[in-house]
Amino acid sequence: MANAVIMPKAGITVESCIIGTWEKKIGDEVKVGDILFTYETDKASFECESTAEGTLLEIFFAEGDEVPCLVNVCAIGAQGEDCSSLRPEGAAQEAPAVEAPKAEEAKPEVKTAPVIEATAASDGSAPASPRAKKLAERAGVDYSLATPTGPNGRIIERDVRAIMENPPAEKVVASAPVQAIAEEEFTDVKFSGIRRAISKSMHTSLSTMAQLTHNSTFDATNILSYRKLLKAAGDDYAGITLGDIVLFAVSRTLKNYPDLNAHMLDDNNIRLFKHVNLGVAIDTPRGLMVPTIFRADEKSLLEISLEVKALAAQCREGNINPDLLTGGTFTVSNLGALGIETFTPVINPPQTGILGVCRSVDRVRKAADGSIDVYPAMGLSLTYDHRALDGAPASRFLKELGENLEKFTALLAK
Amino acid sequence: MPKSLFVDPAETRAAGKISFNDIPVNTYNKTIKQERKKFGDDNLVRIYRDITVLREFESMLNQIKTQGLYNGIETTYPGPAHLSIGQEAACVGQAYLLDQNDFTFGSHRSHSEILAKALSCINKLSDQELMTIMEGFLGGSALRATEKLGKTDSVKELAIRFILYGTLSEIFARDTGFHKGMGGSMHAFFLPFGIYPNNAIVGGSAAIATGAALFKKVNDKQGIVVCNSGDGSMARGPVWEAMNFASMDQFHTLWESHKGGMPILYNVFNNSYGMGDQTRGETMGYDMLARIGSGISPTQFHAERIDGFNPLAVIDAMERKLEILRAGEGPVLLDTITYRFSGHSTSDQNAYRTKEEIDAWREVDPIITYRQGLVDAGVASDSKLEEILAETAERMTMICKAASDPQISPYVDFKADPAVVERLMFSNEKIEKLDDREPEVNMPLAEVPAYKKLKEKERCPIVDGKPVSKMKLFNLRDALSEVIYDRFYEDPTLIAYGEDCRDWGGAFAVYRGMMDAFPHCRLFNSPIAEAAIVGTAVGYAVSGGRALIELMYADFIGCAGDEIFNQMSKWQAMSAGILKMPVVLRVSVGSKYGAQHSQDWTALCAHIPGLKVCFPATPWEAKGLMESALKGTDPVVFFESQRIYDVGEQFHEGGVPAERYEIEFGDVNKVRSGNDVTILTIGAALYRAMDAAKTLSEKYGMEAEVINLHSLVPLDYTKIVESVRKTGGVVLVSDACARGSFLNDVAKNITELCFDDLDAPPVVVGARNWITPPFEFDEFFFPQASWILDAIHEKLVPLAGHTVENGCTEAEAYRRAKQGV
Repeated sequence: MANAVIMPKAGITVESCIIGTWEKKIGDEVKVGDILFTYETDKASFECESTAEGTLLEIFFAEGDEVPCLVNVCAIGAQGEDCSSLRPEGAAQEAPAVEAPKAEEAKPEVKTAPVIEATAASDGSAPASPRAKKLAERAGVDYSLATPTGPNGRIIERDVRAIMENPPAEKVVASAPVQAIAEEEFTDVKFSGIRRAISKSMHTSLSTMAQLTHNSTFDATNILSYRKLLKAAGDDYAGITLGDIVLFAVSRTLKNYPDLNAHMLDDNNIRLFKHVNLGVAIDTPRGLMVPTIFRADEKSLLEISLEVKALAAQCREGNINPDLLTGGTFTVSNLGALGIETFTPVINPPQTGILGVCRSVDRVRKAADGSIDVYPAMGLSLTYDHRALDGAPASRFLKELGENLEKFTALLAK
Repeated sequence: MPKSLFVDPAETRAAGKISFNDIPVNTYNKTIKQERKKFGDDNLVRIYRDITVLREFESMLNQIKTQGLYNGIETTYPGPAHLSIGQEAACVGQAYLLDQNDFTFGSHRSHSEILAKALSCINKLSDQELMTIMEGFLGGSALRATEKLGKTDSVKELAIRFILYGTLSEIFARDTGFHKGMGGSMHAFFLPFGIYPNNAIVGGSAAIATGAALFKKVNDKQGIVVCNSGDGSMARGPVWEAMNFASMDQFHTLWESHKGGMPILYNVFNNSYGMGDQTRGETMGYDMLARIGSGISPTQFHAERIDGFNPLAVIDAMERKLEILRAGEGPVLLDTITYRFSGHSTSDQNAYRTKEEIDAWREVDPIITYRQGLVDAGVASDSKLEEILAETAERMTMICKAASDPQISPYVDFKADPAVVERLMFSNEKIEKLDDREPEVNMPLAEVPAYKKLKEKERCPIVDGKPVSKMKLFNLRDALSEVIYDRFYEDPTLIAYGEDCRDWGGAFAVYRGMMDAFPHCRLFNSPIAEAAIVGTAVGYAVSGGRALIELMYADFIGCAGDEIFNQMSKWQAMSAGILKMPVVLRVSVGSKYGAQHSQDWTALCAHIPGLKVCFPATPWEAKGLMESALKGTDPVVFFESQRIYDVGEQFHEGGVPAERYEIEFGDVNKVRSGNDVTILTIGAALYRAMDAAKTLSEKYGMEAEVINLHSLVPLDYTKIVESVRKTGGVVLVSDACARGSFLNDVAKNITELCFDDLDAPPVVVGARNWITPPFEFDEFFFPQASWILDAIHEKLVPLAGHTVENGCTEAEAYRRAKQGV
């Protein structure tokens, strides 16, 4: 008997995924565990392993199709076996040829809609009705995350209500490089789902917020020497990085700046969080991903350090639970290791701030007695949403953060 | 079709011949000398004076239009100047015997008719009467402006200045004009002197004047009606319809009360030309215009040709014709020969006639020949007549100066008062009865058999849980009848007519049984003449009565296009609110009768400013709206649907109230509440929308809010917007062809008024843009419940599991529009 392979549910908030590439084609022999196809949410990309053994009999969805989770994607069984009963409703009648995928516009006009179906991919590019936008604005949700079920692929009111009841994961701020094979002078490459989401999100971020960046430095002598102590201590302590130290300091300092540990709901409303859920930018082969350290303010430096390492590993392996890519209340992006001295981080909406951590540079300063002193000055770049808070409190946050880092051991003692 | 008149085959088929009487042609042959004693010298001289006033008035307009200058006054205006220079003697002759109780109606070339009638009335009225009229007109504002022209001891002179100034400033579009400039040259008039509107539509006055005569006849009013027109209008259908209407046999055979012919004189100022077409010899076949009366009535309309270049010949004819009219032997037709020296308008190059012809007529120009006649007969010295001429020019210069002066004669200030015209569009009054006398009826209302029967009907479709049988159910037709009965017993001026209204009871039985209650003069069968039906109602209403008329099918609106779209709709505003238009025009939207008997033309009527338009779809709506319409003073096009005359009241709690009530125009009727989608309906489509709402609820779990737009103009959007804000989506449904449907206007307004609340653009579901196919294929042409579901599924909210039957994809919409179907 033929078996179906279903679209896995990549997280409790994930309703559907887009098929990336088919690794197997019809007629191929597959074993359990073989990679059948890749699929992506608007947050991450995954590989689907075969759950059955036999011949790949039929593929129900082509590359680029959006498939609701738990719906049959392909059938595996004995050569020649009938598997039509496994074909899900709404799937293409003909098995799409993997070698030559059909053009997207060749979709047949389906007159009968048995269930409320997505009428377009939920890739953030669907138009939304004025009513849907208004509702989304009031409810403080991002309508572009909704799955459109309206006519012409439009996001309508019920789609926004759906994400209000069942909020999707936050977007990943990442920059997946586009590998274009230059056969001619140039190649036009259609963005992946992730890339499209990032494109929309970044554009929305910069076009809808009042963002500006303040830069400052602090004397890193204290944390550099503390790190030496940790290294000497060995075990897990040896793995604590300067970045972890900054995360710890941020998680404590933010408590005094609720406007920076917040979500903008609309131009007139802000949601302040009791705990600090720190988004941490992680460089991965797929691009920058931002997992969340929930309740960082309650975690020790070591706990933070261990969690960052674990999350980074999952991100690099591409198997992170999408639910961990959401819920951040403030983000820290560390480009110090890449030699960046100062930069303008882009806020991950609807957050109100993001801290860029830069390399340390030796600077000289004049001491009180007139002597010249060389010290390591580490850069901090804070981008904040001026709608949420003014320049003075933002500057005070940077100042207090710098002071906490300069007297880090004292902060630890608190 | 009265049973009292026997159509006898023997008589009808008997051999015989039709004989005609001779038609007199220019038979008047008296000289001034012979008439001197009869008229008196003063009157003969005054005839000359009046001719000079008319001539000078239009010569002034001619100079203003062509040179921008009159007697040193630089002035001009952009509006029309259809002059009748040369025709003055005919006008003065006609007006000589008329007074303010005689109504005159004119054409687009009527300055002289108006002024002649006014001068005649000024001569006949006492100083005190004149002062009362002038003080009372527009609150005395025109008189105040006239007084600024300078002092005069003579009230008659003041009145002459008043009438000249009021007319000229009307032509100049000034606020001080008789109608605040809203009528202008082609629509000037002055009611207190019995001068009714002239009319920019050729022949447009014929049916209106006939309606005024009907008013005089039915309501026993003094005076006769003169309908002036030009020979060019004799080719127009509505003119023939009007003349036929005026000579109906029933006035003599069936009207027990008010027996006798219509008191109307159709006077044609026959100047041999339409605009440039020559009637006799080119575009007409009558040889002599006076002949056409013989084609309409055995009286031959008492027609004759008279010489309009001789004022005394016209007076002689008028004297004889007035006698006929007052004896109840009208109507009358006069073929008044005259000639227009001026062009049709000032841009006329006279390409259609020779200089020789104009010169030949100039040689007999009455302003010269009549004056010479006065001198020759010793009535007045030439120097005295020269003095009159100078006086006329002097007065006209004064008038022109004042009418041109923005201080004395300001324009309406649209910037300061942008709503100035808006306020004039509707009179919005509620007047129970337009006269105080007892209504003429055959029996007390309570004894009228059909009314009693109607009162016994069940007003709810379900009684004690059981459906009421169709025969016992108080339906939409009954709702209309009930109000009409009630109103007939209140307003003595209310009359109803149309095709087969009386014995048949109206083709759809709304008037069934009413012939027992009302005499012929209040409820009668009209000829199959839609233009005359509507046009006469317009005349009846502007004269002071209330008319309820019927076109059997809405499709026949086209036959009465001018009367509905130009006359009924516009006179209230063009008269600056002086005229009222209490006309209710019932039109029925057909079914089963094919392409020329099934059209919903609400959009055509709603498009025309000045008309109120309603379309009740339930008995409760029908009764309330008819009550409102028949008490109002505005013109209403009252649409009904033949599909639903039989329906009972399914929505209003308690059914149709037995007591009287009004539904305000503009209100809407919410017949079903829901939160998920709004369905707006017009007409019988309401019932299909209710079917769709039922399916939505039962099959798709959606609750539709259904609102019937029983009033199209005016329309209060408050409740509509409230509903759409709630539901986010709206489907609009009616049986009108979708292209240009009124619903598109509503959809556009909804889009603007609640764009941010819309989940999808409003969707109009109308009939296809085809001819109506045979009834067997109704479901392919008219919106069905399934079409509404399809529209919701395709355009608003896709319905899970819905199968589209009659959808319209975007590609299909493009294709249809490109094909024009």
